[in-house]
Amino acid sequence: MLQLKEGEKEEILACVKEVLGENSKTHENLIPVLQQVQKKLGYLPVLAMEKIAEGLDVPAADVFGLATFYNQFRLNPPGKHEVKVCLGTACYMTGGDITLESFERRMEIKESETSPDRHYSLERVACVGCCSLAPVVVVDDQVEGKVTPTRVDGIMLELEADRDGPAGEESGPKEGGNSEQD
Amino acid sequence: MNKTDLLKRYEDMKEEARQSIQARQEKSLVLIGTATCGLAAGAMQVKEDFIREIETKGLEAEVIEVGCIGHCYAEPLAIIAKPGYPAVCYGNLDEGLVHRLVEDFLAGDDPSYEYAMAALDRNDEFPTFEDFPRGVYEEKMILEHCGLTDFKKIESYIANGGYEALAKALSEDPGFVLEEVKEANLRGRGGAGFPAGKKWEACLNNGENEKYVICNGDEGDPGAFMDRSVLESDPHLVIEGMILCAYAVGSHQGYLYIRAEYPRAVEHVREAIKQAREKGLLGSSILGTDFSFDLEVFQGSGAFICGEATALVNSMEGKMGMPESRPPRLVEQGFRGKPTVLNNVKTFAYVPLIISRGADWFKSTGTSESPGTAVFSLVGKINNTGLVEVPMGTTLRQLIEEVGDGLPNGREFKAVQIGGPSGGCLPESSLDVPIDFDSLHEAGAIMGSGGLVVMDQDDCMVSVARYFLEFTQHESCGKCTFCRLGTKHMLDILTDITRGEGDLETLELLKELSEDVRDGSLCNLGRTAPNPVLTTLRYFYDEYRAHVEEGRCPALVCRDLILYYIKPPKCSKLCNVCVGSCPTEAIYTREDGLKAIDQDKCVKCDNCRKACPDEYDAVIKLSPPELPAEKERKAK
Amino acid sequence: MSEEITITIDDGEIKTHHGEKILWAALENDIYIPHLCAIKKETRPNASCRLCFVEIEGHERPVTSCTREVEEGMVVKTRSPRLDRLVKTGFELLLSDHNLNCRECPANRNCALQVIAKKRGFKLKRDRIKPIEREFELDDSPAEFAFDRSRCVLCGQCIWADRVEAEVGAIGFSNRGLKRVVTTFNDLPLADSICTECKLCVDVCPVGALYYKKDQKA
Repeated sequence: MLQLKEGEKEEILACVKEVLGENSKTHENLIPVLQQVQKKLGYLPVLAMEKIAEGLDVPAADVFGLATFYNQFRLNPPGKHEVKVCLGTACYMTGGDITLESFERRMEIKESETSPDRHYSLERVACVGCCSLAPVVVVDDQVEGKVTPTRVDGIMLELEADRDGPAGEESGPKEGGNSEQD
Repeated sequence: MNKTDLLKRYEDMKEEARQSIQARQEKSLVLIGTATCGLAAGAMQVKEDFIREIETKGLEAEVIEVGCIGHCYAEPLAIIAKPGYPAVCYGNLDEGLVHRLVEDFLAGDDPSYEYAMAALDRNDEFPTFEDFPRGVYEEKMILEHCGLTDFKKIESYIANGGYEALAKALSEDPGFVLEEVKEANLRGRGGAGFPAGKKWEACLNNGENEKYVICNGDEGDPGAFMDRSVLESDPHLVIEGMILCAYAVGSHQGYLYIRAEYPRAVEHVREAIKQAREKGLLGSSILGTDFSFDLEVFQGSGAFICGEATALVNSMEGKMGMPESRPPRLVEQGFRGKPTVLNNVKTFAYVPLIISRGADWFKSTGTSESPGTAVFSLVGKINNTGLVEVPMGTTLRQLIEEVGDGLPNGREFKAVQIGGPSGGCLPESSLDVPIDFDSLHEAGAIMGSGGLVVMDQDDCMVSVARYFLEFTQHESCGKCTFCRLGTKHMLDILTDITRGEGDLETLELLKELSEDVRDGSLCNLGRTAPNPVLTTLRYFYDEYRAHVEEGRCPALVCRDLILYYIKPPKCSKLCNVCVGSCPTEAIYTREDGLKAIDQDKCVKCDNCRKACPDEYDAVIKLSPPELPAEKERKAK
Repeated sequence: MSEEITITIDDGEIKTHHGEKILWAALENDIYIPHLCAIKKETRPNASCRLCFVEIEGHERPVTSCTREVEEGMVVKTRSPRLDRLVKTGFELLLSDHNLNCRECPANRNCALQVIAKKRGFKLKRDRIKPIEREFELDDSPAEFAFDRSRCVLCGQCIWADRVEAEVGAIGFSNRGLKRVVTTFNDLPLADSICTECKLCVDVCPVGALYYKKDQKA
């Protein structure tokens, strides 16, 4: 299980408190609350889910159920760079699966995983709705169209170049595509 | 408030909007298509280029972001409207072309027609979109202003006659709206084609005071992006449709459920709601009347199943998006247990047009049973990918060959997939089927939400069926036995077939399972999941047979049934491109200088075949996976 | 008591009352309809096991009898080639994901699946549909009972007992599709969760997924 780093616990508690303060405390608000907390933290830590369950008076088992049901929610911190490979029909037919495999090979992780150094995470998405530009890849929330296997190499080079400095050590979840805290 | 005052109030608002828009139109306008696909193609860079070039030249021109112009194949797109010239649309923009357009057209007087796609207004110099085959067949209703209107400004919508239907409706009884919608025979555009008027009436007749109107914007079908485009490009059209519905059924609160993957649509709709409230078109006492209705956006969390109505409502109530057995129907017991009307984005978008132009106008397009238009996202192996709107009753052939301009460089049509994971694959022989709810259903496909994917000889039908099953299996909520386990077994069988495993009995089992999953599942996701399998079995049975009986994939797609081979007579020896392209160092140079592939190392990534220069075209795929030498040996 | 209603099931007339679901009306009159997930008190049935299909005259498609209320004069069939095929496939699908080592199962001879097999003449074997190979960790953390997910049919009876009868809220469904399971918050062992070990869930489990340790076969 993921160990929280120093200060992370306080950060999580403060975040949940803030979000709960901004929403009326009803079961109906469970999804918006989870979305807002994830947007701030990058993922849904166990502690956050517990506190949300308490705050909205919902069984914790249901919060967990919901968080594991929907694709959007993640229970582990995302990598610094998030690559989503679209596998909609048009993308699949133009080689989206080959693109995904190329990323898996280059990142040395499988889909829906984060690399051990938290530099990358790789996901598949059902369809981002840019079918005329297939195959499509979303790199840190930027949509890239017509991604050939050679372009995968290019994207990897760009992401690798961002490895310098103390990244990965202290930043982790905060610098993903979801970051809103400057 | 009396009728005259109400209409006057609207006319004043429209006049004001018109003036603010007109002031804008006196200078040159550059409209950039910045819907999601435009952005992906680099629309923002194009926008910056225009702004920079215009500033450098010190010109009086405004650059405006608009939504989807519909011609996705030529993204990034822009329309230049310069006073004194017809508005002209340009595609495939890049920095150089932007520079040239600003210099020659905006600063000079040459519209650079050689780079133009078409004009938007009739003129004596350059053809308009209507002059092309696509324009001849296309008839725009709900897409009329998509990509031409500034979605960020409610004034653009109002100046074009937006919210006129609302003013008209509010000056009449709510029954007027219901009668028009019923008379128009507007059928739900979410896929099943249930008459919207009937649904609304059932909700109206339910005694409860608290009622809800929900717009289903959880467009999850892979290969479909019509709803996204409408929400991003013309959000007020949907909002106005929802207000009209609320007025007809007596609801005071509505929600737009938009899927998580469409952040831009959420943003545009939220902004539109804000502006509508400011104008008194949403909220309490709409346009000064005693009718109140407000709207909120609910963001989905990424579950395809939430496109199913009861699952969507569960999800809005903070639960897992699990479908419920019906009855009770949502119009009886919906959101918060109250009567609820839930319609698709496009269904609501037709309503303002029907109210302002009349049911007869709507019925004059399309067929008697399916009046109006159909909106498709045209993708796959087709020249003009994009968003198209054609009258119901147009044949698939017209849609593919004329509107979509056929398949690229002489490719041969094989199948068209309609309706996404719930739809079916139709062959050449079905191309003369008219597009309407009932004819498509008979052919084994469904209208669905309108995704249309064209496939050619390089697409394997078994693999396509497998793809859709993988999708539904992945997206199955897991609640009911047939969908949770049935789709898993169907997927396993299809996977076996793509590996050449199984026999004719396997195909029979696949068919039986498909039929039982169709009949036994709880909701429409499960019930329609077998459609891609059943239609491919029905129309492309031989292809299935080739896989199981000969271990051969005729389309050379299934990776376990192919191998890559470099044809010695075609290989140039001197070129090393394939070697460099291989991610696993499977390609080597033989002693005679020719390149060859180490089959044990090859991962069949297709890099080398793509990399091999066209003049050699030496890398080929073989199925069954036997090298020519082996084959010869076997033959002996 | 509410209004009395007469319906016909398999050519025999039975009396029941307004608001009753076909399934319960049939069972109370000793007419067997296979079922796993139905809970009589639940007003909005899950209808998830898909075994209680019947045919109603005038309806084109088979209907789940746990969801459909009786109507005066309704004519219902519990057997037909079409129904039998559908129920058989549903049953085989459940078996494909069920640990079939009955001899070692504490619920042997006291198992809803065995009852269905016996009543409908199904085999407790998997020949047509292959088993889904996967492994689950046994949760034997509670003092007196254990939870073996390899036998769970996801009927939801235990969750109802936990929520409605015991009012605890320790367990629920999680994940989606094939990964759907009954579990606690954060997949904790039951003993580490808020479970009070009241054992009401064990009593309602129709198969041997939740079982008393004392019943365990050697």
